[in-house]
Amino acid sequence: MVSLSTEHLKIGYGDKTIVEDLNLNIQEGKITTIIGANGCGKSTILKTIARVHSARSGMVYLDGKKIHKVPTREIAKKMAVLPQSPDAPGGLTVYELISFGRSPHQNGFGRLSEQDHKVINWALEVTGLESFAHQAVDALSGGQRQRAWIAMAIAQETDLLLLDEPTTYLDMAHQLEILKLLEKLNREEGRTIVMVIHDLNHAARFSHHMVALRNGNIIREGSPIDVMTCTVLKDVFQIDAEIVVDPRTKKPVCLSYDLITAEQQVANVKKVV
Amino acid sequence: MNKEKRNRFIAIITLLSLLITVLFIISLNMGVVRIAPLDVFKTLVGLGNDRDELVLFDFRLPRMVLALLIGAGLAMSGAILQGVSKNDLADPGILGINTGAGFAVILFIYFFQGSMMAVSTLGIFLMPLFALIGAVTAALIIYVLAWKKGIDPIRLILVGIGVNAGFGAAIIIFQLKMNPQDFMQAAVWLSGDIWGANWKVVSVLAPLILILIPIAFYKSHMLNLMNLGDSVAVGLGIRVERERRLLLMLAVALAGFSVAAGGGITFLGLVAPHIAKKVIGPKHQLFLPITALLGAFLLLLADTLGKNLLAPTEIPVGIVVAILSAPYFIYLLMKVK
Repeated sequence: MVSLSTEHLKIGYGDKTIVEDLNLNIQEGKITTIIGANGCGKSTILKTIARVHSARSGMVYLDGKKIHKVPTREIAKKMAVLPQSPDAPGGLTVYELISFGRSPHQNGFGRLSEQDHKVINWALEVTGLESFAHQAVDALSGGQRQRAWIAMAIAQETDLLLLDEPTTYLDMAHQLEILKLLEKLNREEGRTIVMVIHDLNHAARFSHHMVALRNGNIIREGSPIDVMTCTVLKDVFQIDAEIVVDPRTKKPVCLSYDLITAEQQVANVKKVV
Repeated sequence: MNKEKRNRFIAIITLLSLLITVLFIISLNMGVVRIAPLDVFKTLVGLGNDRDELVLFDFRLPRMVLALLIGAGLAMSGAILQGVSKNDLADPGILGINTGAGFAVILFIYFFQGSMMAVSTLGIFLMPLFALIGAVTAALIIYVLAWKKGIDPIRLILVGIGVNAGFGAAIIIFQLKMNPQDFMQAAVWLSGDIWGANWKVVSVLAPLILILIPIAFYKSHMLNLMNLGDSVAVGLGIRVERERRLLLMLAVALAGFSVAAGGGITFLGLVAPHIAKKVIGPKHQLFLPITALLGAFLLLLADTLGKNLLAPTEIPVGIVVAILSAPYFIYLLMKVK
């Protein structure tokens, strides 16, 4: 198991500070989802942990070690990262793409060992892409493409998986398919998963732990029951939400919602009348 | 790698090698002085007459060998640039690296040689060095100007186009100060011309290019990973900026040395990798060797055509390359969604 945490993380772009002081503790072997409005810093935080973006100050700890003190290749053996809508070069096959996930374990020339082939085939199987192995990634449908990228990330064989909006641009069924795949990876292999997703109901249904952000600060974190509440959603999204328990999954669901500003205006008008 | 693809790779490599061999033989026969294939063979094994020997060994062969080397060099340079910039329009000619090298060579000739016509033996050895310095300078300017907490591929291309225009203008300033004959010569060379081809030039350039190309092959896997985009590459444990600098240096050196002997040939670095990618896919282990052979073939073809189409007037090889590739380039642009 690999632990991940941040300490007094401060992140910004140019002269704009996005995250002031973030102390985040990711629970091992669990699925953690970061939620928040557009521009609240969730993707930025993920990018910083993934070392794509560097922090102003503060520290990210992986396995108890300061992340920038450890060779990046060693980190790649412990933590896989899937950025938002990645783009495969035209003509690259699914098998080739997944094989790139093996690179932290390989020598410089990228020759695949017996073990590598085994892992790639396993990743193909888990993601249900066996029959597409030798097709070009850019010729697949959106859902298949995203599965191919996830297959690459899991072929990296890391305990920790970071995903930035893995379900964006997918239809409802494919979104569910991806999330169930991640759930399976977590349950059957005990992989720690940290992701950003926009769909609150999906977040509540699939995560053990949710982190709600506003302006780079954690408003509330905890189990879905603790986080999916009217007050939190009001604070985070400025919405007035109706939360019920899903009879199928026993998880909180946002049944309906409205914008608070609009409603307040209506209330004001009523008062005047 | 699946079997089908490997077989295809071997087939294409064999086909290209065959094409190059055939073209090589044809090119030996053709020219202002026509030499029959049998006489070519006789001369090559040492049984020919003096005239044929002179034409073949002193004029044609070194030039053809250079065409192959430069073609391979420029094509590889383009392939690497396209890989690291993740932009299919990158080419050492379009980015201004060739023009930078050309500018340095023009400066060298202007100040140290006096004339395009009389390059000394020492000059032949120094010219690749100057071309390299010019290419590196151009690349450095591009890199520094495009740097904004890391390199954004699109910025890199746009800045490159600007740098290209700048060096182009600087070249004209010096060209205008030359005498008319040198002006002509420089103009021809800048549009791409394998000039002053002799064994001395070959002996300087061949080792340089033949060392750099295998290094590029060795970097295939790295290029594959860089091609996935920075965020993915970082996640896979690649030191992206460091690798990008290294690969850029490699591309710049290949372009610089090629320009020293072949002038400002554009489009070859664009077209060869494109065709190669189309026939074998983007995996660099397969795609780079095909790119190199294709570049060599295309440049030898262009040079042979340029020598013979309007003989005895020679069309600069760079112009033939442009005429051959422009339709392909337009086709590419039209296909872009």
